[in-house]
Amino acid sequence: MKFLIAIGSKDYSGPTLELGMRVAKAFNAAVDIVYVGEKISAFSTSEVKLAQDNLDNWELDRIGVDVLQWAYEYLVENKYIPSDSEYSDFNKDKLVQTNDDRCEVHLEGRMTQEVGLILRNGDIIQQLRDEVRQGHYDVTIIGGSGERRMAHDLVQYIDSSIFIVNQFDPNQKYRLLLAVDDSTGTKGAVKFGVRVAQAFKIDVDILTVSKVDRFKDGYKDAAERAGKFMRRTSIQYQNIYRVGDPSEIIKNEAGDNHIVIMGASSKNPLMKFFKGSKPLDVMGNCNCPILIVK
Amino acid sequence: MLGFSNQTIADLLYWVTRKRWLIAAFAISLFLFYIPSPVSLSPEAHRTLIIVVIVLILIIGEVIPLPAVAILILILEVVLGIDTPNGVATSFMSDAVFFIMGSLMMAVAIVSQGLDKRLALGIIKLTGNKTWRIVFGFVAISAILSSFIGEHTVAAMMLPVALTLLRNTSGDQKTIHRLSTILLFSIAYGCAMGSIGTPSGGGRNVIMIGYISEFGLGNISYLNWIKYAYPMLLLEIPIAAAILWITFKPDQRVLDSAVRKLKVKVAKTGAMTGNQIMAIGIFFLVFLGWVFLSPYLGLGIVALIGVFLYLSFGLIEWQDINRNTNWGVILLFGAAISLGVQMKETGAAEWVATQSINGMSMLVNNLGFMQWFISVFLTGILTNFLSNAATVAVLGPVVLDMGGNPIILGISTSIASSFAYLTIVASPTCMIIHSSGLVKSSDYLKAGWKLFVISMVILYLISNLYWPYLS
Repeated sequence: MKFLIAIGSKDYSGPTLELGMRVAKAFNAAVDIVYVGEKISAFSTSEVKLAQDNLDNWELDRIGVDVLQWAYEYLVENKYIPSDSEYSDFNKDKLVQTNDDRCEVHLEGRMTQEVGLILRNGDIIQQLRDEVRQGHYDVTIIGGSGERRMAHDLVQYIDSSIFIVNQFDPNQKYRLLLAVDDSTGTKGAVKFGVRVAQAFKIDVDILTVSKVDRFKDGYKDAAERAGKFMRRTSIQYQNIYRVGDPSEIIKNEAGDNHIVIMGASSKNPLMKFFKGSKPLDVMGNCNCPILIVK
Repeated sequence: MLGFSNQTIADLLYWVTRKRWLIAAFAISLFLFYIPSPVSLSPEAHRTLIIVVIVLILIIGEVIPLPAVAILILILEVVLGIDTPNGVATSFMSDAVFFIMGSLMMAVAIVSQGLDKRLALGIIKLTGNKTWRIVFGFVAISAILSSFIGEHTVAAMMLPVALTLLRNTSGDQKTIHRLSTILLFSIAYGCAMGSIGTPSGGGRNVIMIGYISEFGLGNISYLNWIKYAYPMLLLEIPIAAAILWITFKPDQRVLDSAVRKLKVKVAKTGAMTGNQIMAIGIFFLVFLGWVFLSPYLGLGIVALIGVFLYLSFGLIEWQDINRNTNWGVILLFGAAISLGVQMKETGAAEWVATQSINGMSMLVNNLGFMQWFISVFLTGILTNFLSNAATVAVLGPVVLDMGGNPIILGISTSIASSFAYLTIVASPTCMIIHSSGLVKSSDYLKAGWKLFVISMVILYLISNLYWPYLS
């Protein structure tokens, strides 16, 4: 598998990097860490580039390199990459410019496969979309921005599963909230849920929500299948059945001490665009990490 | 749905959301095209104004590349029957475009000489290690230098000086946020203010001089422009430094250690090289050319002579110039000037000017003040969302058709286009300091609005109390 972790700054991206790397380790995935710098106005691209190039003459790093350096130090400190291999050393001169907006370096991994550090500039959705398409990533991990539009665009337009790391506290004990129903995305969500629960050694709440009093057969089957998966893999779990508004109930059940995993909506993109979807509503309201599996 | 896969629909939706301004521009232009022209507006002028609306939407939205906007202007001018292909081609290339092209290329040549380290040493020698003096020095040097060699050249040279001082002060950015902000804004605002000092400070000055001359309203020489604009620049330097100091007063009042480390770093560069001396010499020649030869050769051709000399003397490689010059911007400015000329020739500019004056006359009786205020305020606001040269290219003909003294209104408009204090996209210098990652978008408004208002007041006083004695 291949994971992409998008980081924004040293001050706010620590939890995203921590949780992202722990999940990647659980999947023994190849990981790329990307920093997307702000979009430069088309009127100023050359002028900004000229100024940035001039920084090299003063041995000053251009913006973003320091964030990658910080990510690199985190990886070394936590032994995700060996500190004694020439293939795992990072400095700005090793960054290879692949096009005007992108440069990268690849380092030898230790607990995961190869680890890449990527620097991009531009509109964040456009850049992540391009990166995911180019690198065929399975999961994109990103910190919560608080912007509902951003969450919507990520889920709608990025061609990979999306893990939004909302308010993750590395010192808190989490449970896993696996939201299941009869949608096609549920199967993938359960598989992800098992791997994450195993890696984090946490218990699972399998939540099934029906809008009407009588649960559809498909809903019950999905919950039972998920339970069976958990039993087989010796994960402690409990089934929870609730009636009401799904996004409201998932949000309430999740609180701030769950990692939520749910499948992406199988609705037509036009319907999702105009009417929204359950995962989008949950993502907009939740105060904890949430993984939407596509 | 409709035989399309979900992926195709998602891709289409993505395109629509990203290009919504393009779609809006298309829809609005269709609507404007089919509404009847007002009685006082000729069909050609009506169509010219439609192009202006489209261009403003596309430039502010940045939904398509700038060269594409430039090409669209030229196509529409011909397709909508505003001018012939040859007429459009003639209005597209002018001395102002040569000047913008030449100055952008010279910027690359000058920055690549490594003169910034000497500049740093010079500034520190003048200012010492007190923070307020360094702030004042940054504003003053940025303003004076950018009045001659262009704002983004100076910003590119000053940025590493500021960043080195900041890095030498503390590795923890949080503890020096106010210091970072004040030093970086000293550069950005200094450069913006300075760019009005001489015609060569910014492309829009040359665009305005070109319009005034082409529309037969007068001729402004290099030295004459300095007489009009430089006092404003000199007045603004201490005011801007004071506003920045009051707004972002830093905790670090003395930068003793940082200044010493900077001196050590700069001292390692050794004596001035032959190339650096030649680079300064060529620029000095270009400056003399602007002062004495521009009435005969034009400012643009003199700038191109400078580029020719830099290339011929081997001070810069063509590849470097080619890579670092924003050709898209040059194309756009050419097309925007062409649009400005069409606005004048079709009567669109006069119509907009008359409508603006009539609209404002309900609020204010003083015609002279109204003409001045509309020109300056509109330019000042628009320049914060659009490029300053594009603002002058589009608004210039309107302003010059308002009546009153065209020289005073024209220079006022050019100067107001430097009030780019409010947003990141206001000018390349604002974008350059933002690209350091050390200033926030909200910081631009904190000091920017004060400087904007005070600059308007100073400009009003100077244009009423001092300029009348010059003409």
